[in-house]
Parts: sequence; structure tokens; C-alpha cells
Amino acid sequence: MAKVFIYPSTSLILADLVMRYGHTPLSSAVAIREHIQTAGFESAPLQISPEDPKKGLKWAAVEVPSGVRGRMALYGPMIAEAEAAIIINDADLAFGCMGCARTNELIVFLLRQKEIPKLDLNYPAGEEEGVKFVAAIKKFLSGLGGRP
Amino acid sequence: MTPPAVRIAQLSCGPEYSGIQQEIDEAARAVNGEIFHPDLALKSIQKDFDAFGLNVRSPDLRLAIARARALVEGRIDADAIFIATCFRCAEAAIVRNELRRYIHEHSRLPVVSYSFTERTTAGTLLTRMEALTTIARRRALLAREEQTGITLGVDSGSATTKAVVMRENKIVGTGWEPTTEVLKSANSVVAKALAEAGLTRDDIEAVGTTGYGRFLVGKELNADLIQEELTVNSKGAVYLADRQHGTATVIDIGGMDNKAIAVQDGIPGTFTMGGICAGASGRFLEMTSKRLGVEITELGPLAMKGFGANVPMNSYCIVFGTQSLVNALAAGSSREDVAAAACHSVAEQVFEQQLQEVDIKEPVIMVGGTSLIEGLVFAMGELLQTKIVVPHHSQYIGSVGSALLASGFIKDD
Amino acid sequence: MKEYAPVHVGTITRYVVVESFEVTPQDLAIRAYEISKGVMIKETCFGLTIMGKEEEVDRIIDELRRVDPAHIFVKDRGFPPGDARRCRSSLGGARPGFHGMEFEMTVIPYISHGIEELEKRDEKSIPEAKNPLDRRTLDVDHLKKIIDAQET
Repeated sequence: MAKVFIYPSTSLILADLVMRYGHTPLSSAVAIREHIQTAGFESAPLQISPEDPKKGLKWAAVEVPSGVRGRMALYGPMIAEAEAAIIINDADLAFGCMGCARTNELIVFLLRQKEIPKLDLNYPAGEEEGVKFVAAIKKFLSGLGGRP
Repeated sequence: MTPPAVRIAQLSCGPEYSGIQQEIDEAARAVNGEIFHPDLALKSIQKDFDAFGLNVRSPDLRLAIARARALVEGRIDADAIFIATCFRCAEAAIVRNELRRYIHEHSRLPVVSYSFTERTTAGTLLTRMEALTTIARRRALLAREEQTGITLGVDSGSATTKAVVMRENKIVGTGWEPTTEVLKSANSVVAKALAEAGLTRDDIEAVGTTGYGRFLVGKELNADLIQEELTVNSKGAVYLADRQHGTATVIDIGGMDNKAIAVQDGIPGTFTMGGICAGASGRFLEMTSKRLGVEITELGPLAMKGFGANVPMNSYCIVFGTQSLVNALAAGSSREDVAAAACHSVAEQVFEQQLQEVDIKEPVIMVGGTSLIEGLVFAMGELLQTKIVVPHHSQYIGSVGSALLASGFIKDD
Repeated sequence: MKEYAPVHVGTITRYVVVESFEVTPQDLAIRAYEISKGVMIKETCFGLTIMGKEEEVDRIIDELRRVDPAHIFVKDRGFPPGDARRCRSSLGGARPGFHGMEFEMTVIPYISHGIEELEKRDEKSIPEAKNPLDRRTLDVDHLKKIIDAQET
């Protein structure tokens, strides 16, 4: 079972297909869950505290906005952990955890820097594209080993 | 009985991920405000975003744009709007500015915008939130144009404490001194103002307080109105300048922070409050006058005789900027030129960092103690290309605004 | 600063989304309750949220997927079901992430179709999906073919 970073990281479609075909999706929810389940000081709603943007300095310099650095504190460790990545290139309507275009650019760049198998797709715009989309993901995932 | 909470719509990008959302919520709660996130369906988000026409890439900014349109068009009800985005994000700064302008021009909803960092706290946001809820909640009170009866206004500022006694729309007593102990200074200026007015504490029918020490002083004086300085100063400024109707811009360069307020019919529409850099405050001018060996009251006239451009300034900073001035003196610059350069430096930093966040509409009214430094007013007028109005008693602006608004609380009024 | 004591530590929560003509969230909830064994299940407008130990949650999800494999989709959720911090009723509006899901729901029928077709067709016969990074200029041979076609 490979750890597959999904982009957008909030994607239901990607999370489902990765799980469905036997691998582990690395998604926003996983990082948020870790925050929600860790004791500390209260910082509603996401338990992301002002300390997180400081942790984010590992991926982005201090002149980078705090929202980017806070998000990188979520995604940076997962990118490091990722063994593969699926990137949907036209994900323009992923909000919240994926709501900042600058962070998203940095995430994709860091994934491109990493020597791991990557699959680039666009969202399907019709049934036949849907078939190709699912087939491409299934093929990509079976190439990563583990249960088919 | 607690009045119903003021519903503040939040339009934002980044606060949850900067770890400061709870600071925003807390500041709102402290002034009986309630933050909410306007609900829209995806179809409407896409449609409203397209219709607005500012094609930014960040989805959360797109969402903010769509929500702003829904609020302005009345599809979603709110009493006030709070816009917050990350400091140093260019894309967000454009959206923040354009949304603020759009809301201001197309609705009567009070709006405040703020760019935060992970260090932003509820305390920093409190005055802004208080002003926002006041404007939403107290439109009737803010509509008051005349002072009636005998009232006292006290402005407990970070640098100075001021008091004014007003009687039937006239200032009859004033008191002023540097703030040392908050209550001691307040009691002292109140005594001075009463003495000048020839009145006693018992003659006073209502009391208003404002400024940093407003809560403490308000409690001590059993004030009828305890109000932040943004709304009070706007009101005081248009009252003293006799510009209660139409547009105006109020600039108050204070000892610790600066306010720039776009006013419509005496009520603040949009405003900014900055307080990070001492180089953009009255402190910088105090330091300069000390270095030049003159009283702060003499700095203005001195600057009017000089030409600031003759002095190279490397920085706006109170440390390094002052160093530039010292170097210039050592290199033979005249004291007049140095005074003018200091005034220009403060004015320019306020202009660059704050005035860009409000739409400057004439008349521009400068108030607060620094408005008495003519060199500073001149420099600001040059930058804004307008003749700046400095009303009488401008250094007492907060006290006058408080005394004016407090008369709304006189029992049989 | 107030201390934060997390609850439900060591559990996971997953969304189970139904996009089907045949199965409703209610049907799925009934099936899930039958096999829940103490796992927390909450019915929502789009399906279910299920919280519990990972193995338990996965066991239930495996069962549920069987009800309508191509029309049931699953993803992780950071918060336990009904958490006020993410709840629409306490926020005044949907959490921003919801709109992302709203968007994907417009695409999901194509995914369902893809999953179904993949069961029926020989995978090798399916043409490759377009790689959006592939911005090659027109192939010379292909260009020649177009020109020839125009001339005849």
C-alpha cells in the first residue's frame, strides 16, 4: 500500500479512488484530524494555532503570508511522506484547506521536485472522459504495488 | 437587558490557517457581535464571482467576492461586514480594497478591513470591532448634530489625557495633560475643565469617555457613554469642522496609533487603524523636537520654514530615520530642513501604509494633537494634493465627540 | 489561553457519500446501523459520517460499498460527526470545504460511469486520459495528414 498525495487534497473523488484501489490517500482531513486530536491550547475551529505558521517557515520564508505558512504546516509533512501523487490540474473550485492559490502553487511545485510517480489529470467533462479518468488512476495505482 | 447581537459577516481568506480565527470571534463577542459566514450555493458563488469581474485565483478570495455581492444585494442579511486577509498577500490586498470600496459605494453596511499575521490578537481587533458594532447599533445616536445641556467628555489617550466641558453646543472648559496614571490624569484634566467652565461635577448632566483608558475612566466617572475613538473622533471632527453632511475624511495621527476614517454624514463608513510603527506616529516628531532642542509646539512653525527634500532620509523608522536626521544635522543641514523632513517622513508613511486603505474624499480633516504641528499638516496636504482642514479645538477631538454624543443620554432629552 | 482537551482520540471519521438513483442516504443508514457495533453513525443530506476505530469503520464501509459500489464514495474527515466547529448551523454558513464537495458532486456521475465501464470493458482498450501538462505542438505527420486532406 502506497501513500498517495492527492491534489486537491480535499477531493472526495481522488480520496475514494485511491482507497478503492487499495492505497492510502494523504489528504487535508488526515492532517486536520491530527491537529484536532492533539492536546494543547484551544484554537478553534481547526486547532491550527499561531505556532503552525511558524512551523511553516520550514517551507516558506517569513515574508510569505501567514495563511500560506499555516497551510504548509499541514501539507509539508505529508508531501515529505508521499510515495506517489495524483494531481488534478484544473481544480479551481476547491475551497478552505485548498482555498489559497499561492499555497496550492507551492504544493504542486514541491510535488514536482520530488522524484515519485505522479499522475496529472483534469476533471472529466463527460462520460467517456470519466472512463479514461478512472482507468488512468486505476492503472497508475496498480503500478505502485500492493493489492490491486 | 442585553441587546441582540450585531451580526457581522466575515469575508476572509486565511484566518483559520493563521491560527487567529478564534481571536476574531473573541473580539466580536466582547462587543456583543456575532461572526457568521454567509451561506451561498456553489452556483451562486460562480455566478457572483464572474459578475464582479476581478479574476483572482485563490478560491477563498473568490468565495469572499461572491459573499460580498450577496450581502450588498440584500440576498443575505447582515448588520456589518468584517474583511480579513493575510498581511503581505498582494492578491488578497487587491480583493480587500476593491470589496471595501464596492460595499461602501453600494450599501449602507459598515465595513472594516484588516490584514492579519499569526500575531494578531483579539485585543488588536477589539477597537475595530467595537466601532463596527457601534455604527451598526447606534446609528440614531451617531446622527446627533448638536450638543445640548451640560456634558463632559474625557479622552484618555496613550500619550495625553484631555477633557472638555460643553454647554448648549459650546465648549466652555478644557483640560489637557500628558497621561501618567490613567485615573489621576483623568481626574486632573476634568478638574481643570470644570474650573475653566466655572462649574462643578454636580452640574454635569452626562459624561462620555473614549481613548485607551475609556473603560477605567468611564467606570470612575460613572460615564453614560463609553465609546472607542474611531466613531467618537469622526463625529467630533465633522462637528467641529462643520461638515456634518456629505463626505469627509478624518485623519488622526496619534501617540500610539493612527486612524484614517472615511465619513459619510458624520458616520464612519470604512476606516483603518494602524499601530505597528512608531515612525508613523506623533512619537517620531517628539523625538525630532527633542533632538533639535525645541518644544513640540515649535516644531511645526520651524518645519514650515524648511524644505524637507534637502534632507536624505533612509528610513521611516524611529531609530534609523532619526539617525538620518542626526547625520543630516552633522553634515550641515539646517534645523528647519530637518524639521520639515521629519514631518514629511511621518506624513508619507501614513499616506503609503494607511491612506491607501480608505477612499480619500474631501474635505480632509486632521485632528488630534499632531494636527497642531503645521509642518505635518502641510506635508500631508502636499501628499494628498488638497487643503487640509484643521478645526478649532482639534486636539480635543475625542473629548468633544464624547461630550456631544453623551448629550444623547441626558435623561429628559 | 484555554487548554484544549481533544475528544475521540484514536478514532477516525469518514464521509460516505451516496450519489445514486437506487440507494438513498436513509437506506444506507439503516444498513449501517445493522452492522454498526458501537461505531458512531450520523446520517446527513449526502450520505453518512462514520466515526470509530479505523478497522471498525473500514469494516462497515466495505459492507456499505457492496450496496451500490459505483455510486458510493468515501473520504476522510478531520472532525468527528456533528462537531460544532464545522457545523453549518453554528457557522452561519457552510464550511468552505463543502463547496469543493458540491463541485465534485457535479463530476461524480462521470466517475460512477467510469467505474462501471471499467468492470465491463477491457482496460487495454480504453484510450489514455489527456495529460494536461502535455502541451506538445502539432505532430508533423499529423499536420501533413491535415494538409493532404484539405488538398484532396
